[in-house]
Amino acid sequence: MASLTASSLSFSSVSCSFKPNQVSNLRKASLSFSGKGFPSHRMPALRFRVACAAKPETVNKVVEIVKKQLALPEDRDVNGESKFATLGADSLDTVEIVMGLEEEFGISVEEESAQSITTVQEAADMIEKLLEKK
Amino acid sequence: MALKLNAINFQSPKCPSFALPPVASVRSPKFFVASTLRSGSKEVETVKRPFNPPREVHVQVTHSMPPQKIEIFKALEDWADNNILVHLKPVEKCWQPQDFLPDPSSDGFDDQVKELRERAKEIPDDYFVVLVGDMITEEALPTYQTMLNTLDGVRDETGASPTSWAIWTRAWTAEENRHGDLLNKYLYLSGRVDMRPNGKTFRYLIGSGMDPRTENSPYLGFIYTSFQERATFISHGNTARLAREHGDLKLAQICGTIAADEKRHETAYTKIVEKLFEIDPNDTVLAFADMMRKKISMPAHLMYDGRDDNLFDHFSSVAQRLGVYTAKDYADILEHLVARWKVANLTGLSADGQKAQDYVCGLPPRIRRLEERAQGRAKQAPKIPFSWVHDREVQL
Repeated sequence: MASLTASSLSFSSVSCSFKPNQVSNLRKASLSFSGKGFPSHRMPALRFRVACAAKPETVNKVVEIVKKQLALPEDRDVNGESKFATLGADSLDTVEIVMGLEEEFGISVEEESAQSITTVQEAADMIEKLLEKK
Repeated sequence: MALKLNAINFQSPKCPSFALPPVASVRSPKFFVASTLRSGSKEVETVKRPFNPPREVHVQVTHSMPPQKIEIFKALEDWADNNILVHLKPVEKCWQPQDFLPDPSSDGFDDQVKELRERAKEIPDDYFVVLVGDMITEEALPTYQTMLNTLDGVRDETGASPTSWAIWTRAWTAEENRHGDLLNKYLYLSGRVDMRPNGKTFRYLIGSGMDPRTENSPYLGFIYTSFQERATFISHGNTARLAREHGDLKLAQICGTIAADEKRHETAYTKIVEKLFEIDPNDTVLAFADMMRKKISMPAHLMYDGRDDNLFDHFSSVAQRLGVYTAKDYADILEHLVARWKVANLTGLSADGQKAQDYVCGLPPRIRRLEERAQGRAKQAPKIPFSWVHDREVQL
């Protein structure tokens, strides 16, 4: 639950995947709140999953593409930490997922990079990196 | 059978790594080459031994076919006698390598050899790299006869077993033997290749064996051989065509004759699998999907010449570039087999069987799409020296 004050944001519980060398990506976690104060009895219960490395929208898009490729049911829980292999993807699926991401985001992925992706998070991070370069 | 070609298994850093056989080619999607390293199963480290080059193979799974199925093959022996052995040619009617080579007993031998060498001079190194790879693959016949004899229910129990299956295996081996023999003699006489590294590669390959992951199952085994025979038919057909383009009609004839053998063998093996689809469609379709998921690895995927750790990759790369055997061929073969065995029409399958059916039927277009993508981003590949052609450089 997030408690908002006019000048500061503090989070009581945040799950954040933190890699030491990705501290600089914190700025990518975009959280926006309206400047108005909330009536205290209507505090929204916000459950955050701050993907410190890539925007949540990116991660969600990846999840959508992965679910489609692997024909997973909508209610199956797929998130940043999900490993492609655990979801049932073989090497062909992984390449097709990368192809799907290329089409969706208008990027081009080098083979070496494509080979190193094993989780949803890694895919999202790579996408953001490539988008930045554009 | 000897199928050469990057059945996908590429170790190329530039290719998608879900390769089938290894090939360090930017053009051939690694996907198509049965990868010894990336198919998802566990690999074991092999210790370097002098007779065993540094190649990793998968964890060896054995006897995955339930033993009661062995009865099926015993029951099919008469059928095999009448339907499969008919595809063998009697020895008296068979061509022999001598039919296509200079005749040592004739006075004209020296001239014939000279003429052969003149023709060979016109053929470029990259073609010879592919032909050598083919030759070594054909020569590795002991491995293939062994592989056939690992299959439960159809193996030659004694070396002289009178079962139809055993008769087939021995006679098939006898026919195949001519291929390596003929190519070896031609290449030897041509003067265009270095026989020493060729020989080394062959020895390493026999020492390494082959890992098609057929798990002693004739279901898996015959699906594998069906695929392979068709692949060799295609690739020898292409080397024949290229030989003709280079003006060597005799070599074209050699390759074409070998291709014709492969076609005949393909007919036999696909008939066996067709029969299996008829009497046991569910397990056969499961086997088909299993082999395709594991990817059809090329028989010579473990080749090594003592120097090039990516020899198979490099060889396959050249074969792909020359159009001798490509990722597209892989997709075509799969599509052909799906149609030949009428996989799409199978009914009464279990849930897993249906999934397998969908997988196999849907696979060819997926492979083609991948191949298009790889072609679209193909970068200029390097030229590398091949020991097989005296270290001359060949474009990958």
